[in-house]
Amino acid sequence: MCGIAGFFHPTLASEAYPATLLAMLRAIAHRGPDATGYVLDEHCGLGSTRLSIIDIAAGVQPLADPSGRYWLCYNGEIYNYLELRTELEGLGRSFLTHSDTEVLLQAWLHWGPACLSRFNGGFAFALYDRLQDELILARDRYGKRPLFYAPQGRGCLFASEMKAFLPFPGFRFEHDPAQLASILGVWTPLPAQTGYAGIHSLPMGHWLKLKAERIELFRYDTLDFQGTTTVASAEEAQELIRQRLRASVALRLRSDVEVGVYLSGGIDSAIVARLAQEASSRPLSTFSVEFADRQYDESTEQQEMASFLGSRHHALRITHQDIVDHFPAAAWHAEIPAFRSAFVPMYLLSRQTRAAGIKVVLSGEGADEAFLGYDIFKETLLRRDWQSLGDEPRRARLASLYPHLEHYGPQDLAAITGLYQQFAEERLPGLFSHELRFQNGRFSARLIKEAGDPLQAIAALVAAEPGYAALGAVHKAQWLEFRTLLAGYLLSTQGERMSLAHGVENRCPFLDPAVVELASSINLRFDDGFAEKWQLRQAFREDLPASIVNKRKFPYRAPDSAAFVDCRPDYLELLLSADEVAKIPFLDGKFVRALSKKIMTTPAAEISTKENQTFIFLLGIALQHRFFVQRSGLPQLPEVVSPLGRAIDLRAR
Amino acid sequence: MNDIIRDYIEQQFLIEFDESFPEDSDLFKEGVIDSFGYVQLCRFLEKEFNFRFQENEMTGNVLTSLSRIREFVRQKNSPAVTAPAP
Repeated sequence: MCGIAGFFHPTLASEAYPATLLAMLRAIAHRGPDATGYVLDEHCGLGSTRLSIIDIAAGVQPLADPSGRYWLCYNGEIYNYLELRTELEGLGRSFLTHSDTEVLLQAWLHWGPACLSRFNGGFAFALYDRLQDELILARDRYGKRPLFYAPQGRGCLFASEMKAFLPFPGFRFEHDPAQLASILGVWTPLPAQTGYAGIHSLPMGHWLKLKAERIELFRYDTLDFQGTTTVASAEEAQELIRQRLRASVALRLRSDVEVGVYLSGGIDSAIVARLAQEASSRPLSTFSVEFADRQYDESTEQQEMASFLGSRHHALRITHQDIVDHFPAAAWHAEIPAFRSAFVPMYLLSRQTRAAGIKVVLSGEGADEAFLGYDIFKETLLRRDWQSLGDEPRRARLASLYPHLEHYGPQDLAAITGLYQQFAEERLPGLFSHELRFQNGRFSARLIKEAGDPLQAIAALVAAEPGYAALGAVHKAQWLEFRTLLAGYLLSTQGERMSLAHGVENRCPFLDPAVVELASSINLRFDDGFAEKWQLRQAFREDLPASIVNKRKFPYRAPDSAAFVDCRPDYLELLLSADEVAKIPFLDGKFVRALSKKIMTTPAAEISTKENQTFIFLLGIALQHRFFVQRSGLPQLPEVVSPLGRAIDLRAR
Repeated sequence: MNDIIRDYIEQQFLIEFDESFPEDSDLFKEGVIDSFGYVQLCRFLEKEFNFRFQENEMTGNVLTSLSRIREFVRQKNSPAVTAPAP
């Protein structure tokens, strides 16, 4: 794992190239503390900070082809690189190293952009063609690894994290209120959004070509959920699940360093840990977040799983004070406002993981999206069939939803019935599945003055998506989950941005194209979807403790506004002082006051989910505005020095 | 009765009824109502006006705006309507 950064035809004096590029790389040194390298010519500079995992000695970047025409900086892993290498060797390509970086370069040279759909992994890269004076940027299909770019004059800046743009002379961060309203409405950024004017995220499954002031964006992957595997029975489905996950875990254990596992207490990470243990000759190291606040804690299941595996288990107990103390640093790393505080414990967990000597971990992300683990899929099925269902099945299905939410309990059945009645018909074209969720988002979007319609951007996105309109209600829900919550929060803010803050790479065996394809071939064929992930759980029934297999989905969350009300950190002034709020011109001061007052004076049990979310969003916006726009009050962070391993200057002397 | 319900909704959903947001606004269409807030509103009405919502009466559009909520509560509290048939 690494960070990459660079510029193409920059608005910069030539003599400032090396210092600027090094400053950009220094801003993301936490992603790759093992070595820094860069290459420069008259038009382009690109570099990487490297976390050494495969071919530690020879994998130094940037890497050129033997002719010196192409230069590559690459972040991530292509897990099937050995198979691709064999295939490329069979086609006459020769290799000088054993690194996956060289496989990527040769694959691009041989197949061109058609290589991208052959890659199984999480990656983002910049490839510079000196002869054509052309820069290619590309990103993996699920959005595992980030890549941001900012057009500048005739060229652009690019980096794994936007903070790398801060040291570029003259660069200014400005929030884009319309994008922020969309982020608040949807809960996460859309694939191209960042929340900042003039900075784009390269959407997952896309690549981009920059040449002579022209930026062209190309798509190479589409989520269509069209399973192609023939599956005759539930038993066969379960056998295939075991086979494909075993293969996926084995691919993701390819590493020259030890691989650990994050245990959440749920079935997905338990499956990953079990398969990792089977495939590994070393004893497994496992890591978990525990909460002092019992309503969020899953330590019983985590410890049960750890003792079942006999792993070296590391548990990190999180208090309200921990969340409050580290929220600013985590928000600095996240760069984009989030709807929950649950990314903060992951920031601390990666610190502990790294301290234990582990720099690669596996986790269970992607299982809920692929195998229909979330309540929102059941909710969609129920609302889709609402008018045609009899009272009894309707009641039974309502009762199976959101067991962690007290207001879905039997005492409020009449009220919930009334609510669902209002959401039984599609109001927002293409967004039926998420309409109830987006009600919370509309509330949060009121933070932004004159926000307009916060759902306009996502409505336009799905309207323009090829094939989307033809998907069924559940597939649309899955598409939205993959493209928003998974990529825009779970994999990014809560996932790799927090793990890479401390130089830990996170790998997700459920996000293997063969696993996602199989799930699409199986979902809702042998069960009705109301016992979530039924086939997945059945597949591993014999291999895991029954309590883990039978446990209901419990979303990973952390204490939200209550922690800040309890601990009252100094930085709450950003929300409570009218002068501070006024520094952020796009905030609706009246709404901010009303919300803050309610949060600070109302018992936590009476604060709704939407109010908690809005408060956490507001806190993130205020801190990120301070760090990136005002460039002040940066959190105190340990300095990471990534030693300079390669510096190549190709400019004419 | 009117002000109690109005005050509760304004406080619960951090809105203000005025000319630009009249009392007959559809609270669902305006994006004001979320699941937690809706259940809290129902609990509040039951407690304040001493009745219980029945599932079958919730499948109509009874609680969609402040004016409809008032109308519903008025009917619930009217003995002629709520008294069981002899």
